[in-house]
Amino acid sequence: MAAIQVKADVAGSVWQITTKVGQKIEAGETIMIIESMKMEIPVIAEQDGTIDKFMVDEKTAISEGQVLAVLTR
Amino acid sequence: MSTSTYDARKAKALAMGGPEKLARRKAQGVLNARERVETLLDAGSFIESGLFGASPVDPDKSAADGKIAGFGKIDGRDCAVVANDFTVMGASSAGTNGRKISHMKRVATSRGLPMVFLGESSGARMPDHMGARGMATLLGNDGTQYIRLRETPWASATLGLSYGSSSWYSVLSDFNVVRKGAVLAVSSAQLASLAIKEKVDPEEMGGWQVHAEVTGFADAVAETDEEALALIRTFLSYLPSHHNERPPERPVPAGSGAGMADIAKLLPEKRTQVYDVRRIVRAIVDEGSFFEVKARFGKVLTTGLARLGGRTVGILANNPLFRGGAMDTDACEKGASFLVLCDSFNIPVILLVDTPGFSIGIEAERKRAPGKIMNFMQALQLCTVPKLSVILRKTYGQAYLNMGGGRNSDEVAAWPSAEVSFMDPTFAVKIVHGLEPGQPGFDEAFAEMSRDSEPWDAAAVFAVQSIIQPHETRDYLIRMLDVHRARLSGGIGQHLMRGWPTSF
Repeated sequence: MAAIQVKADVAGSVWQITTKVGQKIEAGETIMIIESMKMEIPVIAEQDGTIDKFMVDEKTAISEGQVLAVLTR
Repeated sequence: MSTSTYDARKAKALAMGGPEKLARRKAQGVLNARERVETLLDAGSFIESGLFGASPVDPDKSAADGKIAGFGKIDGRDCAVVANDFTVMGASSAGTNGRKISHMKRVATSRGLPMVFLGESSGARMPDHMGARGMATLLGNDGTQYIRLRETPWASATLGLSYGSSSWYSVLSDFNVVRKGAVLAVSSAQLASLAIKEKVDPEEMGGWQVHAEVTGFADAVAETDEEALALIRTFLSYLPSHHNERPPERPVPAGSGAGMADIAKLLPEKRTQVYDVRRIVRAIVDEGSFFEVKARFGKVLTTGLARLGGRTVGILANNPLFRGGAMDTDACEKGASFLVLCDSFNIPVILLVDTPGFSIGIEAERKRAPGKIMNFMQALQLCTVPKLSVILRKTYGQAYLNMGGGRNSDEVAAWPSAEVSFMDPTFAVKIVHGLEPGQPGFDEAFAEMSRDSEPWDAAAVFAVQSIIQPHETRDYLIRMLDVHRARLSGGIGQHLMRGWPTSF
């Protein structure tokens, strides 16, 4: 099974994690929402997969490029 | 000379690098250079220039000297074409084929024809270029070789390994499509490995993903040669043949504007929520006419050609789906480069505005944000084509100017949801009063900082000329494009950026 790292493309903080470990998601689905520039910015899956683990919690401050979650497919 | 000699010579030239090499390409699903030319052009319209050109060093093995040149039509309009034939000496650049390219460029420029390059070349021919004699004979004899004054549109496709002048012409072009599996770089991975003494992966060095997402040299990406060539045809359909001509007009397709009734629903109710501006763009422009360029580069700013009421327009739209629409240095370069294209070829510009500002911070400064922001700004101010802007939601600070605020557009319209200010009021409260949301006094200070930022306030001081309902946007823009037609010059702009770089 290939592991896919989901990275933040913007610095900010994790506002809401909208998925759960073990959940199957499709490309285009929102995994979590980051708050940055006073905006709610969705982190969108670029490919289908299953959420293996989250590397952040809600309220975690994150930097650009940080790994937020790992998917398997 | 007998007819049979002519036929034999012609057949040999048309046979390119021979049946074995051609068969190998076919097995890979890749078109050969002559098939590419045929696929690009209207059927039967190609007239070749230089079929009997050859290398003086090895005339028997250098059909057309590895670069096929000529004229043909795209949608009935003439253009000049150079197609690299990789089966002949790797389509390496040399004396005869260099003269062929110069001729094509000269004719295209002097007669007002778009120029198309189909790139796939190993670079300079060896050993011909070696030594002072080789250099003096083959390089630098045309002091205008790499000048781009944008007299006519240039389009390019990177369709294989593309090094040296093949890459130079791709990045000098107004539009470059990279086919997946192709590589665009200064020189081969093999040479790069020798130079830096480590293994270099060609795809990692100059593959489609690098150019689509990192360098921005790929205006589009194609799965196949056929798709890449179709994209060049589509790109040129929006452009005039030369800079002293207006872009061609097309009939308005049925169904255009059908999405306008529901366009307001595409904008989230909460000001903090994001959306994909491309859905709004597609609803406004003529049905099926939105042709996005650099879709994967500087994604916070969407750029693309489209038609409104049958006329070509250039769209610059902040895309809040990515980073909330905050513009980074890539977006600035993308914006500037797109404005240069529009202004050079008499294409009016539509700006759809919803941005919290420019991305700031250490990384942004190291990427030379002030310089990039000013290049973008200067490009906008040097534009002499009509510029119309519509503020959909927020527009703050310097980004307000870069996206056409004030007198940086010929007309500024705003949706009732618009918000115009120097910065987000939440940030302003923090900076001026040191207060966070929830702290005593925040609400009062927020109300103070939010004062005068509604579209009615902007309209009251005529910073916004019109407040329009979202569903009126398409009709408003078509009407205003007509009002702002450059009648005095017959629709032709001044092209003040014609000599600007083709990459920034």
